[in-house]
Amino acid sequence: MKKPAIAIAGLTACSGCQLTLLNCEEELPEIAQRFIIDYFPLGLTERAITGPIDVAFVEGAVSTPSDLEILMKLRNCSRSLVALGTCALWGGIAAMKNQESRKDLAKTVYGFAADDLKSFNPQPLHRFVKVDFAITGCPPEKGELLTTLAALLRGTFPVFPRYPVCSECRSRENLCLLIERDKMCLGPLVQAGCNARCPAVGIGCEGCRGPVTEANVAAEMELLLKKGFSRDEIVSRMQRFYPEWDYEQSS
Amino acid sequence: MNRVLEIRPLTRVEGHGRIEVRFAGTKAEMVSLSFFEAPRFFEALLKGKSYEEVPEIICRICSLCSTVHRICSLFAIEKALDIRVSEQVGLYRELILHGGHIQSHALHLFCLVLPDCFAVDGISGLADKAPQELKRGLHIKAAGNLIQEIVGGRTIHPVTLVPGGMGKPVSREGLLKLKETLQGVLPETRRAFELFRSFLPNGEKLDTPRYLSVHPEGASPFFGDSLTMGNAETIPVELYTNLLREKMPETGNAKAVLVNEEPATVGALARLNLGMNLTPMAAAAFEECRMLVTDADIRANNLAQAVELILAVERSLEIVDILIEADFSREETTGIVPKKGQGIAAVEAPRGVLIHNYSFDDRGICRGADIVTPTVINQAAMERDLIALATHMEGADDEELTGAFERLVRAYDPCISCAVHLLRI
Repeated sequence: MKKPAIAIAGLTACSGCQLTLLNCEEELPEIAQRFIIDYFPLGLTERAITGPIDVAFVEGAVSTPSDLEILMKLRNCSRSLVALGTCALWGGIAAMKNQESRKDLAKTVYGFAADDLKSFNPQPLHRFVKVDFAITGCPPEKGELLTTLAALLRGTFPVFPRYPVCSECRSRENLCLLIERDKMCLGPLVQAGCNARCPAVGIGCEGCRGPVTEANVAAEMELLLKKGFSRDEIVSRMQRFYPEWDYEQSS
Repeated sequence: MNRVLEIRPLTRVEGHGRIEVRFAGTKAEMVSLSFFEAPRFFEALLKGKSYEEVPEIICRICSLCSTVHRICSLFAIEKALDIRVSEQVGLYRELILHGGHIQSHALHLFCLVLPDCFAVDGISGLADKAPQELKRGLHIKAAGNLIQEIVGGRTIHPVTLVPGGMGKPVSREGLLKLKETLQGVLPETRRAFELFRSFLPNGEKLDTPRYLSVHPEGASPFFGDSLTMGNAETIPVELYTNLLREKMPETGNAKAVLVNEEPATVGALARLNLGMNLTPMAAAAFEECRMLVTDADIRANNLAQAVELILAVERSLEIVDILIEADFSREETTGIVPKKGQGIAAVEAPRGVLIHNYSFDDRGICRGADIVTPTVINQAAMERDLIALATHMEGADDEELTGAFERLVRAYDPCISCAVHLLRI
């Protein structure tokens, strides 16, 4: 079989998803041999996106005209496009204050120079282009990235489980931080796959992997309010990686 | 005839950067370096957040240095809220900081710089041409990541480090595994040093940098409460705004910083020149290359990082031994009472001086934040060196210039996603 050509690009983000690939220390030499790495500015001296590319992995949200230009170029010359990480899939950390005025945020940091910034609210990739597959996480799990690369060599994408962090946390027999320790833990709402890393070391789930399908947001909100957290605190925590939760689930 | 050479994006560096050179005939008239990374307004994101949320949010500023950002924020928060941590917590923090330095330096040296040494484009080229060197580098890098994974609970954006304490401490088995791994890579760091010593910078020497670092205190080479420029004078980190002056960018989204109105250089080379504490093997390596790094220009930074790889592995081993010996039991973080205050802290990040400054109201809500990153401090020196290099290389063709410019910027090991977020609220 022909080696698949891949691209790895970063938009508005911290490079953590690309670093996850470089953190596959043991597998990296083999990955470099099994794939044609066509575009990967963090690791390769190639400036132009020319294609054709089999699979483009894109990290980060879209928040500048330059982001959009890179995303469009990649979409145009790639058979499949993968949203890599929470920012690309949900908006992520930079989007947490999307409901506030972008201008005011910019002024806080840049003062009068803010007017010259060409930047808009960070948005996930699917607002602009068709996304064929996603690997969530801030950062993504190495195992999920490797599973995806392995599946690509067979010409397909893998299937990841769709259940909340709680499922993995319970099967590790951790103490329940939410019920038994009254901590703010977002485990019930958040997509698993991390093997409950944070609750396993006594730290509440911060929600870095984004919403799980059919998350019961209203119930979590009610429970946390009952435990004495203020609505502001809860909203602030929940919006850290995904600003668009429907707290009442009215619709 | 006037023409412009644009290098965009800069490759094999973290983040989005660009160099533009304007020529009058064959002479470079102006060189500008700009960071066009999308701004994420981190200081604004932190405003209104509880002190507990700050470390978890701010470590997302950058993945390569997420650990050191998290630790620096904890130091600043704990100063503001008058929190003291136990010896155990202090040791774990230092250990994971070394893990971060190991992974970051190994990534820079073996994934970003090494392709230049073998005249290849990237990792695939290395896998063909220098498979042993690549493997050795990745092996060292993995040891750094193992520290971050075992101590921090995750390799990127570690989770266990919280204000006043930490999550679950490492088990005895975990510590023994770290010890075995670190002992295994220590000889490899020595070979890495020899490898990078063999790639000497060529071409005319550039200006001797004005080095700046955290003034090391105690056994840890990367922690301290004051800044130094090598003269007898040190200033407490709280007074950093007297020393560093921000300059609005003409292009790009990162603000440059001048130190005493001059470009300053931070990072491994600066630390070695300013007399950091070294462990035995690192001290021996430093002695062997003293002539190559003393008062050297930034191109010796790669070799300086190789010396620090030995240092970080050796010091990690020392700490692991202390932890095994002490056999600490789990501590619960006792209730923190929020109070109004300001805290300013500095830590040596892999790329150099990092400063976090926060103020909190009486409920512990963040009301102001300022973050100064090493790449921002280095930016003015990068531009100065690029202009000097362009002058030395007058008449060279675009390909040669592009290669040389990129190698120069790479030697600074810039982290551009960090760089676009400095500024005071």
